[in-house]
Amino acid sequence: MRPASAGPADPPPFVLTESAQAGLIVAAANRTALDLGIAPGLRFTDARARAPQLLSGEIDREADARGLRNLAAWMVRWTPLAALDGLDGLMLETTGCDHLHGGEAAMVAALSQRLTRAGYAHRMGLAGTPGAASALARAAAKEGLPALLPEGAERDGLAELPVAALRLSNEAVTLLRRFGLPRIGQLYGIDRKALARRFQSRDMADAACLRLDQALGLRIEPLRPLQPPPAHSVRLPCPEPIASSEAVVEGLRQITETLCADLARLGQGARSFAFHAFKSDGEVSSLTVTTARPVRTPAHIQRLFRETLDSIDPGFGIDLLLLEARRTGPMNVSAVALSGDLAASDTDDAALAALADRIVAKLGPGSVRVNTPQESHAPDRAEHWHPYDGALPPPSHTHATTGPRPVRMLSHPERVDVIAEVPDGPPLRFVWRRVVRTVSRADGPERINPEWWRSLPPVGGTGKMPRARDYYRVEDSKGGRYWLFRDGLYDDDRGAAPEWYVQGLFA
Amino acid sequence: MDLATLKANGIVRTQTARPPVRAVFPFGLSQTGVHELAEARFGDMPALTGFALAARNEGQNRGRAGAILWVTQAGLGMEHGLVPDGALRTFSPHHTPRLVVRPGKLADALWTIEEAIASSAVSLVVAEISGADFTATRRLALASGRHGVPVVLLMPYGREGATAAEARWRIAPRPSAPNRYDSRAPGAPRWHVVLERSRTAPHLAGRSFDLEWNDETLSLTVVPGLAAGQVTPPAPPRRGPSDASGIRRAS
Repeated sequence: MRPASAGPADPPPFVLTESAQAGLIVAAANRTALDLGIAPGLRFTDARARAPQLLSGEIDREADARGLRNLAAWMVRWTPLAALDGLDGLMLETTGCDHLHGGEAAMVAALSQRLTRAGYAHRMGLAGTPGAASALARAAAKEGLPALLPEGAERDGLAELPVAALRLSNEAVTLLRRFGLPRIGQLYGIDRKALARRFQSRDMADAACLRLDQALGLRIEPLRPLQPPPAHSVRLPCPEPIASSEAVVEGLRQITETLCADLARLGQGARSFAFHAFKSDGEVSSLTVTTARPVRTPAHIQRLFRETLDSIDPGFGIDLLLLEARRTGPMNVSAVALSGDLAASDTDDAALAALADRIVAKLGPGSVRVNTPQESHAPDRAEHWHPYDGALPPPSHTHATTGPRPVRMLSHPERVDVIAEVPDGPPLRFVWRRVVRTVSRADGPERINPEWWRSLPPVGGTGKMPRARDYYRVEDSKGGRYWLFRDGLYDDDRGAAPEWYVQGLFA
Repeated sequence: MDLATLKANGIVRTQTARPPVRAVFPFGLSQTGVHELAEARFGDMPALTGFALAARNEGQNRGRAGAILWVTQAGLGMEHGLVPDGALRTFSPHHTPRLVVRPGKLADALWTIEEAIASSAVSLVVAEISGADFTATRRLALASGRHGVPVVLLMPYGREGATAAEARWRIAPRPSAPNRYDSRAPGAPRWHVVLERSRTAPHLAGRSFDLEWNDETLSLTVVPGLAAGQVTPPAPPRRGPSDASGIRRAS
């Protein structure tokens, strides 16, 4: 699909170029250029020789891919299963969706009309198999004239189409044409073995047979959708496009309640909700919220959406609202304890998860974190922070008996200049953050050896091996209490003289 | 006119009475309302953290069980380090589940605190924020009073000016207690705590306490006569309900 070039009836020839190994080649051409025989793949110098007045621009493949993905996301309006097909095609699985739009023909016509209005030149085919639909779109359909084929009629419907429509490589198409097999129908009668023998390589023969079988529905061709299909979705078409944010809020309320009722009937909740607002000018705004545990409370879901609902700009009006529930799972609902004394735990997990959901909706995913203690002597490994997922970590049973641990830990140990007795005396004076601190009392060392099983020794030397740390608890003359360590021992042969760091601060 | 009629007409309405806060140390810190803890000098944040955690064990309903929410504004966390879960274990006899949020902006931090109070899902909110104007503290104080979730704000040394908080404490570290087993090693931490303002006990505003944390009994004790240049608070005759400083004296 490419945006239709708006302008006079006979626009000047225009091509998009890209650089290839042989130099600049034509990547895409408009109709005038195509009529002049300038097709994609031609060298740009040859193209300009044919049409000296040729206009050109550089192709932006990334922007094209982005545009195609956006268009695929917009297709959620018609079906939840949309997949990319090559660089310029989309594949939609519409099974079970056509009745929402009044039948297949009506749906295709409406889609075509909307695409035209949004300025997309397109060709559409609809058939029982992806291969047949693709062949129809490439060979049978015309601009604004979709080609439809009823289910089961692939064999007859495709017979007259050229073999190039089968998504074959250029070499394979050329070969088939040389054999005098330009139409798909001519392939039906040929014995498969005889057909395969004509190709140069086995891969090419297999590809040709596969594409033919896929088009005829003899082999299944699964789609790889951009988004996994949602477990449940509710749509709310608006007969009159809505343009006010209050109406969006009201629409969200209605579909949330419907969706939650659906989920409740199945005893399920969802951990992710996607809200799409389709505008009449062909754009779509989508919002997603995630929750820590499965939920199906309409008020809570609406509250989560409310944080970002302002980002939906109704523009010229919204004509369809769609709410999808993703990552559904069973919900274990238990009655709320009548009094706090009867509750199983001191924490109301559901309320806590709801709070975390709201914070995540406002501050972004992963902003609420919990810590699971790890069995490790290394202080920077003893804690494992991860996003809160609805479950509080159980009380830790640390087996490690350690010395006193600081009340605040710096995120990274900070290097300090230290005057200390060599080899293993406590610091006497150190400079941290450009302030000289005189140590009045010190305690230590507490030696923490590196976890040797985490680091393999480097080949041919011990230069990068982690070193043992000697931790000291010191107090300066002003009452500040610090946790310092010396990274390495003087005689461990693991690098230069050890350096000192501040790791934490005591209360 | 009986009570039911009055209620129906909206003249009177029932409200759950707040439990009276006795004017006893720590004057409701981490039990009711919003309390501000401020640094005396730059870099006193560890002392602040220690005092906030230690004071949870004091008072009438010490150490309310339940999860706590810890909000750390990102800049302050970089400056003073983060509070590991191990610190909570050393200061509290109970397991305290904790959720941690690190918003970048002050407005987001205040929003998070208020949201947590309103949800009533947590038993305490501890927040390290760079500042809060009167309106912000008033909002937090009202929400805290309505939902009964206490808030402790840990603030940097420049904290001055009007506040709607229940109290403002200013904390500085003091040289630690002598170590009984090793005279060269630091001992139990000591802090100099000034109650700068208090709504519960306005007559005690300006009073200072020299406190020592005992990590074996998990309690705070007043240090007699050691604090440099400070008059020790007079010893109360007997501990009673009106006892101003109902804390144990160090032996």
